[in-house]
Amino acid sequence: MSTKTPTSFEEMDCAFPSSLAEALDLMADESTRGRPLAGGTDLMVQWESGVVNRPERSISVKGLPELMGISEAGDELVIGSGVTHMQLRSSDLVQKHVPSLAEAATTVGGFQIQTMGTVGGSVANASPAGDLAPSLLITEGRVVVANREREREIPVTEFWQGYRKIDLQPDELIIRFHLPKKSAESREYWRKLGPRRAQAISKVMGSCRGQVLDGQIQSFRVAIGSVAATCVRLTGIEEWLLNRPLNESTLAEVEKRVTEEVQPIDDIRSTADYRRWVTGRMVRGFLENWLEPA
Amino acid sequence: MTVQERGAYRVIGQGIPRLDAADKVSGKAEYADDFHVPDTWYGAVVRAPVACGKLKSLSRDPAFDWSQVAVVTPEDIPGNNIVDMMGRDMPFIAHDEIQYLGEPLALVAAPSLHVAKQAAAHFKVDVEERPALLTLQEMVAVYKEDPAKLHKLSGQTIRKGDAASALKDADIVLEREYTAGHQEQLYIEPQGMVAIPERDGTMFIHGSMQCPYYINPELCETLDIPPEKLRVKQSAVGGAFGGKEEFPTLIAGYCALLALKTKRPIKMIYDRNQDILYSTKRHPSWSHYRVGVMKDGTIRAIECDFVLDGGAYTTLSPVVMYRGILHAAMGYRCENVSIDGHVYRTNTFPNGAFRGFGAPQALWAWESLIDELAAACGMTPDAFRLKNCLHEGDVTPTGGLLRDSVGSPEVLEKTLERCQFAEKWQQCSRGKSGERLWYGIGLSFFAHGSGFTGDGEARMKSKVALDLETRADGTPIVNVRVSSTEMGQGTGTILPQVAADALGIDVTHVDYPMPDTFKVPDSGPTVASRTAMVVGSTIYSAGQKMKADLESFVSETLFDGQPTELVENQFRAEYDNRSIPFVEGAAAYLASHGPFRVYDQFKLPDYVKWDQENFVGDAYPAYAWGCNVAEVEVDTLTCEFRVTKVTAFFDIGRILNPVLAMGQVQGGLIQALGYAMMEKLAIKAGKYDADRMQTYVIPTSVDGPEMDLHFVEYPWDHCQPGAKGVGEAPMDGLAPAIANALEAASGVRLRDLPLTPERLFEELSRSQRLTA
Ligand SMILES: Cc1cc2nc3c(=O)[nH]c(=O)nc-3n(C[C@H](O)[C@H](O)[C@H](O)COP(=O)(O)OP(=O)(O)OC[C@H]3O[C@@H](n4cnc5c(N)ncnc54)[C@H](O)[C@@H]3O)c2cc1C
Repeated sequence: MSTKTPTSFEEMDCAFPSSLAEALDLMADESTRGRPLAGGTDLMVQWESGVVNRPERSISVKGLPELMGISEAGDELVIGSGVTHMQLRSSDLVQKHVPSLAEAATTVGGFQIQTMGTVGGSVANASPAGDLAPSLLITEGRVVVANREREREIPVTEFWQGYRKIDLQPDELIIRFHLPKKSAESREYWRKLGPRRAQAISKVMGSCRGQVLDGQIQSFRVAIGSVAATCVRLTGIEEWLLNRPLNESTLAEVEKRVTEEVQPIDDIRSTADYRRWVTGRMVRGFLENWLEPA
Repeated sequence: MTVQERGAYRVIGQGIPRLDAADKVSGKAEYADDFHVPDTWYGAVVRAPVACGKLKSLSRDPAFDWSQVAVVTPEDIPGNNIVDMMGRDMPFIAHDEIQYLGEPLALVAAPSLHVAKQAAAHFKVDVEERPALLTLQEMVAVYKEDPAKLHKLSGQTIRKGDAASALKDADIVLEREYTAGHQEQLYIEPQGMVAIPERDGTMFIHGSMQCPYYINPELCETLDIPPEKLRVKQSAVGGAFGGKEEFPTLIAGYCALLALKTKRPIKMIYDRNQDILYSTKRHPSWSHYRVGVMKDGTIRAIECDFVLDGGAYTTLSPVVMYRGILHAAMGYRCENVSIDGHVYRTNTFPNGAFRGFGAPQALWAWESLIDELAAACGMTPDAFRLKNCLHEGDVTPTGGLLRDSVGSPEVLEKTLERCQFAEKWQQCSRGKSGERLWYGIGLSFFAHGSGFTGDGEARMKSKVALDLETRADGTPIVNVRVSSTEMGQGTGTILPQVAADALGIDVTHVDYPMPDTFKVPDSGPTVASRTAMVVGSTIYSAGQKMKADLESFVSETLFDGQPTELVENQFRAEYDNRSIPFVEGAAAYLASHGPFRVYDQFKLPDYVKWDQENFVGDAYPAYAWGCNVAEVEVDTLTCEFRVTKVTAFFDIGRILNPVLAMGQVQGGLIQALGYAMMEKLAIKAGKYDADRMQTYVIPTSVDGPEMDLHFVEYPWDHCQPGAKGVGEAPMDGLAPAIANALEAASGVRLRDLPLTPERLFEELSRSQRLTA
């Protein structure tokens, strides 16, 4: 196999398998393996700008039937990796059971991107600014990946291993996500701060899932993106909050503790100082929602 | 002369659909990249790898296949290796000193873009790198220490009265600094050009541009060809905003030099990334004021340093700075004014024309400061402005008399009333603690000089022509022949409207072919809010001449010498009421005389006097006036803020097409909103960090506020139809109005653009006003 890097899209080979089995067959062998290409909304841009070298071959997984669909399985939602942002945001099941994920999907890019871009692509792209990640993290669900031989399950919380680094072998594809539903008593919230009100890559964003009973916090999970190399769960504050009363002194302490828990950086979209402060404010804002009737 | 009442016009003042709408909507309009000339090669630029340094050698990688590649280096330039703009300090291709990252070192062409790009990447460049001066902040720091350490590109002063001693008499003196950063035009269609060497030695340049008569003559010296051998034609243009004013000369030059070398057509279309990295931006600015006021709000003295970051070469920077200093103390009465304008070199791509041309930078600072001055006198921003604003009969900072068509104070009064400024001002939050949302309202008021600055129009003497010709289908048509371009703003519609009105015919009988220097006289560049006013009025008088000639022809040949008038598409005989349609009379004319061309030339009124050396007199023949009010809401949870509503009145003189004029205002305000709140470029290792649309963020439609926009009409009295220009004024005042509103909301003032949540957070933390 030659090792030359194609310099244009025309020079690339693209395989169009018609089933998952066929796709995994291609992935199994080094000579036929290629870069998985779903909606292409990340890859096409990365190739064109030179951030990522064009691979000699890509394998289109867009629309493979086995990767599509959103269904219920007991206490879980099962979401195919090929599901698009548009399908996510329009799904009654997602809106009901993981509402912050549906809301996050509405804020990804514009209609064109939402129509082409997929959950699998977003997760595999592993950007710390990937808007779907927080909602996946707070469900404590599982990612199912597969190669030709077998399937493998990984907790979502362990899937992102570092900056743009994921737990995926070269012969594997992401197949689906199992996401525990929120309970009827719990609520989810989502907030995204971007440089503008639409079509924006996040400066900071996050989701939470929690339950408050008689003014006392029963459970609280919160994940924030764009403040570290990966999207992160703020486990420190989550633990601290358990069984605390939801009142002003708790909220003030939350702000303080959260700013100590995150280590964001300066970049083109925002500053470390602002991000640190505003993350605390966002978590406060999430919690304040429980002070109002649902 | 006094202009006619609005009702006297039939076509002028109608919001007719754009004449180019069908072509653009159906995809028929031909943009630069739509030209497919056989045997065309594609050009690319070999770019300098450092922002400042000395080129030691340039060599080609012998391993690369050069057989299909043409290369142009400075030795291949037939004429002088100079871009013939102001300063004459910019080489077409750098050969010794390198002044910005990406400065051309050689040009290449190949049968495919792909090979051309590859070839450009296979040069070996040996440079001796030198320390570069890159940012406005670095430049200002050196300036404060010792301006002589900077490389000066241009300077100009304005002196009126005695500002230094008047400052000493003032009750209160405020000293303030404001900055604004780069802004990218971000037109939809990137820069693109095609150069075709014709068999007779003509070089035919066809592409995306604002000013065909800049490219000719600017390229003649480089190509060493006479002007009559350089033909420049505009293609459909997908937006320009000043970004296609002077820059196209460069890309046209690259194409033409490669075309001379290869004897083939050459095409260059920048992709977005190259376009952002290697084309002009709005000049970053630093304004430093010392202003003295009396306790009653009288402005005693204004001292101002207005400093622009010019980028690497002079290009148009002097004129941008001129417009800046002419607006830096404009709008209000003051006897003692002293302004020093400077442009210094930094090692970035030369900054250039952008909608407003220095005025938005100057007004950003000045209109912010006006609010600070009002507060210092214990006055409200509206009362302070009403007290000091210029009226008809007042004089400008250069001593020019505001003779007529002065929309001040009406735009100010009307806006204040319309948005209930005084009541809402009382309701502003001013950083009150414990509130989730802060509300603020802010104001700006300004004039924008119409037409070229200073002696520009007097030197330009814009020429226009109207051609009565026969269309392919045999019917007569009046073609507007000007070099003024349609770039999305509506020139191709308003100029036919003006011609139609002057002639007394419907606009269906008038057309606007794309400007081609082999066919049109030089009506000047399409810049400076000058086209409607200067070119429009000259077309009007040309139309009147053509009308008179056609009337006398019809009178003599068809109506037995009776007095004849062309009105509402009919030639009418005065005595026996006979009439014939315009097309019939015009066809008769064409049959007997053939095509008929009428020329006219713009002339400034004699009362316009200007001393270009001392900057004294009428800097502009007339001004557009505007007032913007912004209302903002700050989310104190995150310091995010948004503009919820903009109320504005503009006096742009006679409105030629209300729909297009409103489009200019709406679009300009959104562009100003981007300038105010989000657009920014930092420089990392000599390179703009935001080099794509992902990172260079402009407003989307949902970022736009509710807009309540209105016109008042104070036509310019000197000529028909009395337009004063609408292109730039909407860019001028929104940034300071938002900063003023933000202060009313938060209690802190931001003096650096853009205004972002990060900056607000910083200021609030500094002043310990962050609330729970
Ligand atoms: C204009 C624009 C705006 C955007 N706005 C946002 C935004 O607001 N928020 C946001 O979060 N994102 C945004 N994005 C990024 C992008 O749309 C998402 O990350 C998207 O979900 C990626 O999905 P895709 O199907 O297009 O992925 P692709 O580009 O096809 O692939 C992305 C990565 O995933 C891998 N991959 C894809 N499918 C699989 C699979 N089944 N198994 C293993 N690996 C796989 C690919 O190999 C590649 O590495 C934007 C992108 C653009 C171009």
